Amino acid sequence: MEEYKKGSLHPLTLIMNEAVAIFKDLGFVVEVGPELEDEWYNFDALNVPKDHPARDMQDTFFIKDKKGFVLRTHTSNTQIRYMENLVKQGGKPPFAIVVPGKVFRNESTDATHEMQFHQIEGLMIGENISVAHMKGILLEFFKRFFEGENVDIRLRPSFFPFVEPGFEIDLKIGEKWIELLGAGMVHPNVLNNCGIDNKVYQGFAFGIGLDRLMMMKLKVPDVRFSYRGDLRMNQF
Amino acid sequence: MLVSYSWLKSYIKDIPEVDKITDLITFHLCEIESVEKKEDGDAIFDLKILPDRAHDLLSHQGVAREVASLLGLEFKLPEYKLPESEKDSPLQIEIEDPGCIRYMGRIVRNIKVGPSPEWMVKYLESVGQRSINNIVDATNIVMLDCGQPIHAFDLSKLSSEKIIVKNANDGDTLELVGSEKIKANLKGTDLMITDGVNNLAIAGVKGGLLSGISDTTTDILIEVANFDAVSVRKTARRLGIQSDASKRYENKLSPTLCDFAMKEISALVLEMCGDATFEKVVDVYNNVPVEKKISFDSVYISKVLGVKISSEDIEKILNNYKYEFTKNGDSFELKVPNMRLDIEGAHDMAEEIGRVYGYDKIIPEIPHIDSESVDNSTWTNICLAKEKLVSDGYKEVMNYVFQDKGEVQVLASASDKKFLRDNLTDSLKESIKLNTVNLPLLEMDEVKVFEVGTIFTKEGEQINVAYGDKKNITEMTLEEFMKEKVSAEEFVKNATLQKPLKQQIFKSWSIYPFITRDIAVWIPERMGPEKLVSIYKDFGTELLVKEPKLFDSFTKDGRTSFAYRLVFQSDDRTLTNEEVDTIMLNITNEIKSLGFEVR
Repeated sequence: MEEYKKGSLHPLTLIMNEAVAIFKDLGFVVEVGPELEDEWYNFDALNVPKDHPARDMQDTFFIKDKKGFVLRTHTSNTQIRYMENLVKQGGKPPFAIVVPGKVFRNESTDATHEMQFHQIEGLMIGENISVAHMKGILLEFFKRFFEGENVDIRLRPSFFPFVEPGFEIDLKIGEKWIELLGAGMVHPNVLNNCGIDNKVYQGFAFGIGLDRLMMMKLKVPDVRFSYRGDLRMNQF
Repeated sequence: MLVSYSWLKSYIKDIPEVDKITDLITFHLCEIESVEKKEDGDAIFDLKILPDRAHDLLSHQGVAREVASLLGLEFKLPEYKLPESEKDSPLQIEIEDPGCIRYMGRIVRNIKVGPSPEWMVKYLESVGQRSINNIVDATNIVMLDCGQPIHAFDLSKLSSEKIIVKNANDGDTLELVGSEKIKANLKGTDLMITDGVNNLAIAGVKGGLLSGISDTTTDILIEVANFDAVSVRKTARRLGIQSDASKRYENKLSPTLCDFAMKEISALVLEMCGDATFEKVVDVYNNVPVEKKISFDSVYISKVLGVKISSEDIEKILNNYKYEFTKNGDSFELKVPNMRLDIEGAHDMAEEIGRVYGYDKIIPEIPHIDSESVDNSTWTNICLAKEKLVSDGYKEVMNYVFQDKGEVQVLASASDKKFLRDNLTDSLKESIKLNTVNLPLLEMDEVKVFEVGTIFTKEGEQINVAYGDKKNITEMTLEEFMKEKVSAEEFVKNATLQKPLKQQIFKSWSIYPFITRDIAVWIPERMGPEKLVSIYKDFGTELLVKEPKLFDSFTKDGRTSFAYRLVFQSDDRTLTNEEVDTIMLNITNEIKSLGFEVR
């Protein structure tokens, strides 16, 4: 029966801030971007073809009377905006960004699914940024995030249109493996769409569900507790 | 897709045991949803074939080739016994719409429809399919085996020996094969197989009932065709029909696959109907795919994966996969196999080599990045605004973006709230209402909440800050808040927000109502209230869910009155007043027995 503090942050904010702090320490800077996005930034620039079945994998909210606009299905839109902007201002890789933020999927809700949730996506591009570096960053992140736990990661082949090779990454905490995130080497078409020379530069991208991390770390049993304005959430 | 281990074994004599195959597929090919081991030694894998490999892997042969290549084992097709005398065919095929890429037709006469041979029934049932009759079963077996959908028509039901592939007329209907008795309402964009007079089948989706195979069928037309993925998908989607055929066409198939499939179906029909006469295959093939070549080298592959992979290692992998390639030092030029529609460039080979080589062999390495970028100032401002409000005693909440009114609306939603919020204040008011009811549970005197979030108006989106209590809520843009409320020196305190969070356990709350009781007791002035609190806890049972809260005390005539509020709640039921009365009576009795007075 612990006393509640006077002012407090939502646990999701605490989780997000902690994830950001670890990535900042690993050399990333923070970017943010719009939640209502056009299809170029949310799909096309990310190498998701107009009529490809992969586009159905994301059940998207389209906006009424605003053709070509959606609620972003991932924060990857901001990666595109960042790279476009960088090139426009005469900049070039290397760079490493993380994008925390709210995303939306049009699906029915249950204890582990919400129509709105939070992600943190990472993008690191340089001349020699490889799968080994991706493994290094993610393993280090999870080691620090789940400090005191025995943590490991493993890669399995997967597919997302914006990466090649693409991976599903499992996280081991204690003795149990949990399927946790998608990642991959940024598809050359994506770099090209942003004006970055894909013959010279390469790198990785990943996306982690923050609600999921919150549920795992703080043992929150139901994701729907988060967005009801209920202060019983603020226990930490 | 359901895949039978025995079926795979028919192609790979030396296939390892089921558990080994499970690991091999999981870490080198795709996710396995489940493995069901059968008593007869078979096992059924439910594979989650990745969308980019659906061209070649929605088939037992495709999966068997992968397994054999991954292990460097021999993959062997059976010797097919093909029909010997092939008569010239009167069959005419016309394609009127480019949605049909290839159409192979073959008339077979004098067949006998009946039950399928045992092995066929067993194979079909093992992967969850029902045996119908020998002809229909043969078409399904070929599809499950090589991935090419096949349809068989009863030739006598066609108005002539002619097939025209063209779009339907708006308003056409077609009754479909299958037990559900579905009548499809067609549109001008649906691609149809017709005999020039009647619609026979919806191309790539489902056959019509009338031209289907029946017990009395003697002459058949076998269709082995390739249709445009998007066209099939749109029609199947609109009609709400997902067939095994449409699923494969939607993912795009190579038109080159038709040749093998026609061979295999012919051999199966011959095996079952020895007296059948086979006419020549009629083949209309419009867009023969051009041969694709790609180049890459071992330096690139190693650079992407972050592990040194030698040209010899790559060569071995390519050989196991039976790729046609030339090697020049570290460089490779490779002919993309017809079925591998997913391979477009060197990056695809990084995946192909990497997954076979094994991602577990890549050693994690932390890179050092020298970048001059700084954090986006919006992010910094969000953090500072939250910190400011917390230090002013406000608690953060998060509310739904979806509301029942607003200026921006989403088209279709799984929920009944179709509008995006155009302010934060409305939901903050609701939040204050909710939390006010729960005040005793929250151990707070008043509700002070805030939210920082995006709102959506006709002009666009913006990040707002809203904060307040029961009496008053203030909402403004993040910029305004920073200007008005956050002083310059607070900018430097940024770091304090990012303290690591210790692993802690969240306490779920009960969904049942709580009951509060107040109790005030006179005790001698010099004595503290600790004894009272311990009585409340000891006699309050597990239903006392919060620390007793002191809300009033005063001293008079050498005695002090302490008034506490007790909160009772159950995790599994609604508490009755009687239950709580009993608890309170026990508490009162204990206090009285110590000689104190309950007010």
